[in-house]
Amino acid sequence: MWKNYFKIAVKNLLKRKLYAGINVFGLATAIACFVLLALYLENEWTYDRWYKNVSEIYRLRMDYGEKGEKPVQIALTPNILATAIKDLPEIQKVVRVYHRDVSIQYDNKSWNEKRFIYADPSFFQLFSFSLKAGNAATVLNGPDMVVISASMAKKYFGDTDPIGKTLLINGKRSYQVTGVAVDPPSNTHLRFDFVASYSTLQFPERWGSANYYTYVQVQQPSQLASLQASLTALARQQLSDEERSSGANLNFVPERMADIHLHSVAADLTEQKGDIRYNYIFGLIGGMLLIIACVNFMNLATARSTERSREVGVRKALGAQREQLFWQFMMESALLTGIALGIGLVLARLLLPAFNQLADVQLQMSGAGGYRIYAILVVVFFLVSFVTGIYPALFLSGFKPVQVLKGSQTATPRGRGIRQSLVVFQFAASIFFIICTLIVQRQMQYIQHKKLGLDRSEIVALNGFKGDVQALESFKGRLLQLSGVTNVTAAAESPVDIQGGYSIDHIQDRPESYTLNINALPIEKDYLKTVGIGLLSGEDLTRADIADILSEQSEERKYHFFLNETAVRKLGWTPASAVGKRMMLNGRTGTVKGVMKDFHFASMKSKIEPIVLFPEYDWFQQIYVKTGGSDKQRVIAAIGALWKEVQPAIPFDYHFLDDDFNRMYKSEYRVGAVLGVFATLVMVVSCLGLLGLAALTTQQRTREIGIRKVLGASVTNVVAMLSKDFVRLVLIALLISIPAAWYIGHQWLEAFAYHAALSMGLFLIAGVLAIGVALLTVSLQSVKAATMNPVKSLKSE
Amino acid sequence: MIQLQKISKHYPVGFGKNEILKDIDLTIEEGEFVSIMGPSGSGKSTLLHILGLLEEPSAGAYLFQGERVDKMNEKKRTQLHRGAIGFVFQAYHLIDELTVYENIETPLLYKSLSGSERKSKVADVLDRFNMVAKKDLFPNQLSGGQQQLVGIARAIVAEPRVILADEPTGNLHSDQAKSIMELFKQLNEQDKITIVQVTHSDLNATYGNRIIQIRDGHIQG
Repeated sequence: MWKNYFKIAVKNLLKRKLYAGINVFGLATAIACFVLLALYLENEWTYDRWYKNVSEIYRLRMDYGEKGEKPVQIALTPNILATAIKDLPEIQKVVRVYHRDVSIQYDNKSWNEKRFIYADPSFFQLFSFSLKAGNAATVLNGPDMVVISASMAKKYFGDTDPIGKTLLINGKRSYQVTGVAVDPPSNTHLRFDFVASYSTLQFPERWGSANYYTYVQVQQPSQLASLQASLTALARQQLSDEERSSGANLNFVPERMADIHLHSVAADLTEQKGDIRYNYIFGLIGGMLLIIACVNFMNLATARSTERSREVGVRKALGAQREQLFWQFMMESALLTGIALGIGLVLARLLLPAFNQLADVQLQMSGAGGYRIYAILVVVFFLVSFVTGIYPALFLSGFKPVQVLKGSQTATPRGRGIRQSLVVFQFAASIFFIICTLIVQRQMQYIQHKKLGLDRSEIVALNGFKGDVQALESFKGRLLQLSGVTNVTAAAESPVDIQGGYSIDHIQDRPESYTLNINALPIEKDYLKTVGIGLLSGEDLTRADIADILSEQSEERKYHFFLNETAVRKLGWTPASAVGKRMMLNGRTGTVKGVMKDFHFASMKSKIEPIVLFPEYDWFQQIYVKTGGSDKQRVIAAIGALWKEVQPAIPFDYHFLDDDFNRMYKSEYRVGAVLGVFATLVMVVSCLGLLGLAALTTQQRTREIGIRKVLGASVTNVVAMLSKDFVRLVLIALLISIPAAWYIGHQWLEAFAYHAALSMGLFLIAGVLAIGVALLTVSLQSVKAATMNPVKSLKSE
Repeated sequence: MIQLQKISKHYPVGFGKNEILKDIDLTIEEGEFVSIMGPSGSGKSTLLHILGLLEEPSAGAYLFQGERVDKMNEKKRTQLHRGAIGFVFQAYHLIDELTVYENIETPLLYKSLSGSERKSKVADVLDRFNMVAKKDLFPNQLSGGQQQLVGIARAIVAEPRVILADEPTGNLHSDQAKSIMELFKQLNEQDKITIVQVTHSDLNATYGNRIIQIRDGHIQG
């Protein structure tokens, strides 16, 4: 019997190629997307959760701030913290991690490496990275030792054994390779290429600077409360009496390792953080696509009921029982689902590289995640077969034979209400996703075009300059001689994303104990001019100002500060009155040289905060070259040639400030791109269903169309008549989806301190688009029917 | 074999009802060849459907081989379809997606016969109707007469006790109609199958041994 069901199912599919094609194609697309999104989510959910003992591992966060202010929360802590806590009874192991971009020389070649970390000896015991060579307990237990990843071993040493070889770091010190680690998987924020021993750094241990990640393994997760109490007490000891009396806060808070990727509130520089909301959206899209494809299936199957009712009637008269017909229809669903599943898997495999690029991930169909996907797909197969089969099977197998067999009269199509509701649902979902995509794109455009208060265009940033003031000045002079270079400056950080946290005190006209937390950036003389920051009062730096801060003894230096409008306002000054005021920035005494117009130095998600720029020549890591003229490639080639001459040991490595800026919105761009693609697919699959329905409606109304034409209806009349019903459904869908999309979009935009407005135009575009696409889809069928010769269509009855 | 006692059938129409059959008493013996005749709308097709258990009477009792069937549940009724009743339709009602062979095989599938049994029974019928060469064709590749031949083959393959035929030659021209009617006669005489046909044609009615005239829901005479 089953063989027979299968045979009948195959025949039915072959007989109705359009119908089967729509179903298979729609379902295959949905399954391909489902697989890709499931792989993506699988990667997200397992992020950092695969470590052995992960429930015992925490990263310490530092919270600090003034009384009554929302504390700043960062994942970076002072290096002495690890020493201070390592003997607490709750603690099993402590590991500090310090990130640094380095250049590495080996065998007369050099590379810049960004995934280079320094870590305490128990790194490979706390984190379950496996070592291909070397002993986890000893690989980092002395200075100048480094463990490299397997792919780096291949890159630097090819097939020779790397153990015992030495790498020259930053042209200064040689590190000996003591171990080779299996490449870390993509689903961890600790994706290193190199782990060097922390003791190499020989940094003094102090509370004053927080540049280190501190990871701990606790004895018992249940002891978290007592650990927290110890940490809070420890933090409190570090505050001065004055700070304590003014109500300043400092605390260290353990964050679960497993929660860092999706739930950490701390600012984190290591890896792109995940966002639980985007995971929900992607999950929603994956599920929605499957549901919509299933809906197509059910709709088309029941809409074809007229056609199949005769078969049901005949079979029943020949002795078929309802369950036998039920299983026959279920078999058809299962067969279609099976074919779609196969095609969908192939599609997913083909599209995986493109998806990886789009979503900026490295997913694989094989591997642990992949196998779990296949298990899920088996469940999906049965679920989809069941869902798509159950309604048509119950519906069709319930026909009474006599209704069908009485003469030429056929059963009138039923289930129209359900079908229409399902179409409304499909279109509401498509329109919802389209509006969401439009909102994300509108915000990205807003960010791109918003006046930042500085000019980031055509600025090339050169990384890793090494040299003293003279070397810098001479390099700068030679750069300026190149044609196409208009300005040159240097700084520690990119002006579009300044992260240095400082505080100012000993402020003129203010009580001794007053401090203001402020962002700050050491700059070179021509900085303001090069990046185009405007001054409201005061003057730009002169050579004489620079001479004031070049002294080796920091006590002798006289600093010059540039505050932004926001900082001046916070201090209760006006731009005019601020100039010349005395203040102290983390021990640097000086006066206010000028007041800058506010500019965006961080993501649009946060309001512009106080910032101070000050010349200080000890920290420059990047040189910024403002270029003009059209031939960008030539200018960069010239800069590169000059770099090789001046800095032969360091590879020429450059990027544009625009890249720095765009990187801040990477996850938004990513979600925008993914949403765009999948919203389109949701629309396409919905339209496939509409196409099928329109084809069937038109076919069922052939006789009616013929009669109307004989009675004088024009082609336009007929097309309008056939399209009207569908357009009405899309309009209802629009009314449902707009409020939902408005609400979600509003929530999303609220996360940005500066955001585009939600305009009516946006919804209008989505509405016109949806109706347009629906009309086009329906007209593919209706025009054909309307132009048919009525004599023919009447004869066919 | 078939006994109808005071069978009535009516459909609700608006607030009233439309009486199709009124107090029909009818007995058909095993081996008879009965023709039901009457003008359009007289209720003859409804009577046939009731005989075939495709429709339930509104009132009255129906005994098939001495068993009350009008109150039977769907499952038992289906058992009867399979074992005892074969249908032939005016519009043939072959399944378009299936070949001649598969169309004939279908009733056997629902009787849960084994593959080899099905094969031999279908082969017998094909052989008897001289359709072996056409077994792999689809219905739309056949003429109307040939399609009805398949319809009859399908009706008898499960070896029913009675064949109910609803204007079996209504869509055929006279030569084809003649051979179909002769086939029915042969089935009746050689195979002892009881046949009840609805027909408009006086000529066709002569093939049978009893004529029942029906008018306005009543049996005449």
